[in-house]
Amino acid sequence: MKQAGERLTIWYSWTCGLILTAAVFSILAYLLFKGAGAFHPKLIFGGVSPLKAVLLQQRVFDGLFPAVVGTLMLVSLSVSIALPIGFATGIYLAEYADFRIKNAFNLIFDILAGIPSIVVGLFGFALAVFLHKHYSSSIQPCLLISGLALAFLVLPYIIRTTQIALESLSPEIRLTALALGATKLQNLVYVLLPQSLTGMISGVILAIGRCAEDTAVIMLTGVVVAAGVPKSVFAPYEALPFYIYYISSQYTTPEELMNGYGAALLLLLLCLFLFALAFVIKKRLSYLAFYRP
Amino acid sequence: MNNWKERGIEKIFLLSTIISSSITLLILGFMAYMALPLLRGGLFRLLTEPWMPQQGFYGIYPMIVGTSVISLLSLLIAFPVSLGCSFLISSIGPKSLSAVFRRIVQMMTGIPTVIYGFVGIFLLVPLIREFFQGGSGMCILTAALMLGVLISPTMILFFCDSFDRVPRSYIDAADSLGANRLQTLLYVILPSAREGIVIGVLLAFGRAMGDTLVSLMIAGNSIAEPKSILDSVRTLTAHIALVIAADYESPEFRSIFACGLVLYLFITIVILAVRRLAFRKSEERA
Amino acid sequence: MNTTLPDNTKIRVADLNFFYRERRILQDLTVHFAEHSITALIGPSGAGKSTFLITLNRLWENLPEARMSGKVEITLGGLRRDIYQEAFPVTELRRRVGMVFQTPNPLPMSIYKNVAFPLKMAGGTDQKEMRRKVEQTLKMAYLWEEVKDRMNDDARKLSGGQQQRLCIARALVLEPEVLLMDEPTSSLDSTATEVIEGLLLELRKHMTILVVSHYLDQVKRVADRVVSFEEGAIVSS
Repeated sequence: MKQAGERLTIWYSWTCGLILTAAVFSILAYLLFKGAGAFHPKLIFGGVSPLKAVLLQQRVFDGLFPAVVGTLMLVSLSVSIALPIGFATGIYLAEYADFRIKNAFNLIFDILAGIPSIVVGLFGFALAVFLHKHYSSSIQPCLLISGLALAFLVLPYIIRTTQIALESLSPEIRLTALALGATKLQNLVYVLLPQSLTGMISGVILAIGRCAEDTAVIMLTGVVVAAGVPKSVFAPYEALPFYIYYISSQYTTPEELMNGYGAALLLLLLCLFLFALAFVIKKRLSYLAFYRP
Repeated sequence: MNNWKERGIEKIFLLSTIISSSITLLILGFMAYMALPLLRGGLFRLLTEPWMPQQGFYGIYPMIVGTSVISLLSLLIAFPVSLGCSFLISSIGPKSLSAVFRRIVQMMTGIPTVIYGFVGIFLLVPLIREFFQGGSGMCILTAALMLGVLISPTMILFFCDSFDRVPRSYIDAADSLGANRLQTLLYVILPSAREGIVIGVLLAFGRAMGDTLVSLMIAGNSIAEPKSILDSVRTLTAHIALVIAADYESPEFRSIFACGLVLYLFITIVILAVRRLAFRKSEERA
Repeated sequence: MNTTLPDNTKIRVADLNFFYRERRILQDLTVHFAEHSITALIGPSGAGKSTFLITLNRLWENLPEARMSGKVEITLGGLRRDIYQEAFPVTELRRRVGMVFQTPNPLPMSIYKNVAFPLKMAGGTDQKEMRRKVEQTLKMAYLWEEVKDRMNDDARKLSGGQQQRLCIARALVLEPEVLLMDEPTSSLDSTATEVIEGLLLELRKHMTILVVSHYLDQVKRVADRVVSFEEGAIVSS
């Protein structure tokens, strides 16, 4: 009787594993199959010579180059806004806040982490409108607004990973420097932060990946289909994920669709690369932390 | 001298924390503020009326139904599969295979949502259309299937983590008494990890509710109330994305803030429930 | 092994080496234990006594950084068996070689379910028979009177000494042929200790018992033989 139940569980688990593996492999294989054909310089540079395009001498119209640049600029902007605030907040929660305050803030940041990305985008949009009306009518949805909104989106990731990285240090490590006369700040800078580096860096990479793949926030805060390489942070811009979304419903020629597949494959590879990078860095840093002579 | 520096830095950290947390509250504030005129016109009407702007109906009820149905269905699909996979990774599979499978699942969390939507449109939708001989293929079922694949990795990893957290002493005891790996999983680990599993499910539910791209691209976005899972439907999130281009200050425009508010509140409830559970669990352990 | 050993040898260990994280914990151990006897394992902390015990029920295989070489044979069910052989299921081994840990480890279940657990895992279904065996072993472990009215209470609510007796009862319920005990009376008061020691002397008639103990007077009272460990090697026996 029991044997049957146990055997059934084993069969069941293997079936589930098979189903999930089949699902993910069909998605990846499909994209690879359809998109690999689109992989050549024309996909990105659309007929313009790569050198001219990168030096911004000639504008690319049929290629992904503006979208790639847009995504890169967006990610850099939002991460550079989110990092300092996120790190500082994480440090405060882990090292300075007392128990009840920490609990309250943890709740607030859990909620922030759970807010759907489209709602964050909506907030960014509303913020832009608000500033437009009350401060300067030249403010409108643009790279800056998107960068800001994305920063709000990934802030909880950075806070959480920093906080957890610091909190999981053993009591021994925490107390050694203090027992030798170091101040709290010195302990933080010379001992605690270097030890938590792995955790903090994986938080950063997580944030980068999140910004690169997000579509909902940028849809509402300034991304457009054709804007070229953005001239300033107050200008509209293009981005890879939005291009993919747009093409999926608005493609008019088979070529455009092919470009869509190529873009999807490109974005997928980019995000998987970031994931692998985070993993390698984690391994590397923890090796160094352990075996440093 | 040093004391000033120490205090100063602490104040800076505190300031950052205040800035971060105020964003959470600002978002709530903006949603409420922008949706206010619509709310004042009657909360009950807003939540139960259909969406027919031409006839003056600005209710978001169909979208609430859409979000609920798709999220619940995707959870229904994803939960059993995720549980089985977590069993496989933590106990049933041979060590090397489990490690590989865990890596694959971790990698899945890095796949962008828009990719799921994109592949959904061109691979899954035609399949569903074929299979059910009709309709456009863009419906609750298709969206729920894709969403299920999307939320599975997070659930699986969370379950496995809960299993790993069960105290070593229980496992040693069970082992020394002759239980095999499966028995230890079913009779010792699973009961201990019960709260962890519920928390994982709640978090996945929150994630499913908050997803925009998958529903936007494959659920069809019709504003009618659905009658079967093969019907097209619109979610709160998709509604926001679709109506954003409406006239500013119009009631249509304000309705998206009402959607945002509803989503915000749903999520807060989920998070509070998760906290309650986690608190109870740590109490029991002590 | 080239010396002919008497037929009543229960456990034969030959050239046992045990490594954990590249450190050698046990060195070239060769030792035998006769059936129906109580052997005390003594020695300083960290000498490898507890590690030795877990090589006899293969519990160390759960630890990823552990390695072992050598041979362990135990006579079970009348047959001499190499316990590391593939054909002999480790779950079967552990039902015949019971273990009581140094720190009590009740399972997260009721008192009754804790003691009945091994029976359930071994496929037992007769409820009446299980209840009888549970009561029997709890009486043997001198715990029955204290828990008989609260068998459905969570076992983790018991005191340290009660938990320890619970674990002893639980280890006995399948009537193992070998019993491995790591400081079994460390949490017990003098009365309970006396009863458990009496129990061991009784059990000796049907089992082979290995006891790690730091109490030399206990060792004197109970043991037929003493094996002394030092830095992973046996110094006298």
